[in-house]
Amino acid sequence: MTTETEATPTRDLESMEDIIIAENVDKWFGDFQALDNISMRIKEHEIVVVLGPSGSGKSTFIRCLNRLEEHDAGRIVIDGIEMNDDVRNLNAIRSEVGMVFQQFNLFPHLSVMNNITLGPRKVRRMPKLDADALAMQLLERVGIPEQAEKYPAQLSGGQQQRVAIARALAMQPKIMLFDEPTSALDPEMIKEVLDVMQELARSGMTMIVVTHEMGFAREVADRLIFFDEGSLVEEGTPQHFFENPQEDRTKLFLSQIL
Amino acid sequence: MVDMPAQNPQRIVLPPHRERARRPRIVRLREWARRNLFNSRAGTFLTIITAAILALIIYGVVYFVFVDANWRVITENRWLLFAGGYPMDQEWRLWFSVMFVFLLIGLTYGTWASLGRRDHLFIVLASGFAILLLAHGGAAIWSTIWYLIAVGLLYAGYAITIRMPREAGPGRTLQQRSVAGLLIAALPIVLIVLLAFGGARPRELEGFVLNLVLAPVGIVGGLIIAIPLALGRASRMRAISWTCTTYIEVVRGAPLLGWLFVALFILDDVIGGELIVRAMVVLAVFTAAYMAEYIRGALQALPHGQSEAAHAVGLNQFQSMQLIVMPQALRISIPPMVGQAISIWKDTTLVTVILPLRELKGNADSAIAQFEFTPDRIEAYVFVAVVFWVVAFIMSRISQRVEGSLGIGER
Ligand SMILES: Nc1ncnc2c1ncn2[C@@H]1O[C@H](COP(=O)(O)OP(=O)(O)OP(=O)(O)O)[C@@H](O)[C@H]1O
Ligand SMILES: [Mg+2]
Repeated sequence: MTTETEATPTRDLESMEDIIIAENVDKWFGDFQALDNISMRIKEHEIVVVLGPSGSGKSTFIRCLNRLEEHDAGRIVIDGIEMNDDVRNLNAIRSEVGMVFQQFNLFPHLSVMNNITLGPRKVRRMPKLDADALAMQLLERVGIPEQAEKYPAQLSGGQQQRVAIARALAMQPKIMLFDEPTSALDPEMIKEVLDVMQELARSGMTMIVVTHEMGFAREVADRLIFFDEGSLVEEGTPQHFFENPQEDRTKLFLSQIL
Repeated sequence: MVDMPAQNPQRIVLPPHRERARRPRIVRLREWARRNLFNSRAGTFLTIITAAILALIIYGVVYFVFVDANWRVITENRWLLFAGGYPMDQEWRLWFSVMFVFLLIGLTYGTWASLGRRDHLFIVLASGFAILLLAHGGAAIWSTIWYLIAVGLLYAGYAITIRMPREAGPGRTLQQRSVAGLLIAALPIVLIVLLAFGGARPRELEGFVLNLVLAPVGIVGGLIIAIPLALGRASRMRAISWTCTTYIEVVRGAPLLGWLFVALFILDDVIGGELIVRAMVVLAVFTAAYMAEYIRGALQALPHGQSEAAHAVGLNQFQSMQLIVMPQALRISIPPMVGQAISIWKDTTLVTVILPLRELKGNADSAIAQFEFTPDRIEAYVFVAVVFWVVAFIMSRISQRVEGSLGIGER
């Protein structure tokens, strides 16, 4: 599906700083425990793919990383900033962490251009001309500069998701979270979005991607993480996962999905 | 002629679009009539009956309008009907307001829409009607001239703005902001022109002018109160949401006439001031309760992902509301809001109903003063109000149960 990259061995992540630290994170919805004692460290520039069956807590976990969900116990530190009730910390974290949703969640009442420039202008107080130039640059990068003046409803699903990626990038984040970015797309549009994500990975972005696209996981990920019933069951390189998984639950899941 | 598969209405096969468009109009018309009016025996029968009834009604209306009716009642009492007790020597204030509003209509259409053939036709017909009314009696010429100037301003405003470029850009933004600003300022400006600096006193607003002033005050005031009210009701903070819910349920619990009586009798004792002003407050407060519910409905209809995406790009709670959630929610709630605006426009007549009671109340107060139950006057009002409220509250509860069982209002 994708091109040459043999990312894993050629990159030296060992010397990098931990940019995401999660320690013993719990999350409850009422008396249902969605996350159970999750700990992990993610290095700068690392590409992590999160796998797991439906309802296993993948979305809940990555949503905790920009506080769309509040974790109930444990610690989360993003680029040295503690995630807590301090609003200044939250704002700092949110402008370092971009997010792409399964349902795109573009703002339907704003043009593509305004979707992208809204964050930079309102949060970073960037002058309009600069923001517009930045937006055009990002639209070139995701391959749809000609759609700038359209509205989201006038675009195909793949184009909408690429606008959503551009919108997240416009805040110049250090980390990008993707929650099943291709699950709502028709098959023929999946590739155009994956290509953009792959280019982003090559450019050095730190990425956490929840996806069922095994081709992407195999070729782009530095590390795979497997969730089940709110727990982190197994983690390792793609090679480890696809050739030599240890846990029974992992094997079962992979046998179903591959 | 194409033969019509009329016996089988499920399978009407239309010729390709081009072909249809090329045939002469009369043929197309005949085809349309066949398809829509005479498509079956029962259809033909219904068409003929309907046509007969329509003809009768039209005959009756035309006969009444042009033969039977004596329109001098209207034309000779023009001022009374339209402006009531508004001081005649201040007429220019009325005309100024009309011109200002017409100009604004032109600017608005030129900026965000365009006037089509139907709109022009409507303006011409409405103007014909207006002039028919104005062109009688002493000041007829002047009234007609003022009116024509107002229409001229409408078209002037339209002609200027329609020529401006629509593409996004600094010029366009400036134009939109200016017109929007004028629209927001319109109501205060008109009120100032009509009432301030030697204009009429509020109690001199009467007739049609009164309705024309009351309705916008109710609608605009209502909207201004409704937005925080809707947000408050949806708030996670219990104290706020209960306060707003109570407001909404209490206000919706009694009919508008009831609240106008409150303005007339109870508020008079409490805050005083002119009855018309109190009525304006009541209208705004009343409308707000309904509008808040429409906005709340729209807020619930909006996908949760919208505010999440707003937070994800770094907007704070207020910005997310102001830039993402509210613009969409208001758009969704436009249809029911327009309905509410129309109903408030009609309900302003109720204010006219209670106006004469001003004097009555004065008499009643002194009359009742001699009876032994005087101190219990308020209690009587309160009792009636509570009975009304309980019934309305039950209805509102039932509707909530229905909503709940249909799964509306849940995410
Ligand atoms: N807002 C919520 N309220 C209550 N329960 C929730 C909420 N959000 C998620 N859950 C529950 O938490 C569990 C984990 O949900 P989550 O969305 O993280 O799963 P997932 O791994 O992303 O699944 P999927 O692959 O279907 O997206 C599920 O059982 C879900 O029902
Ligand atoms: Mg999910």
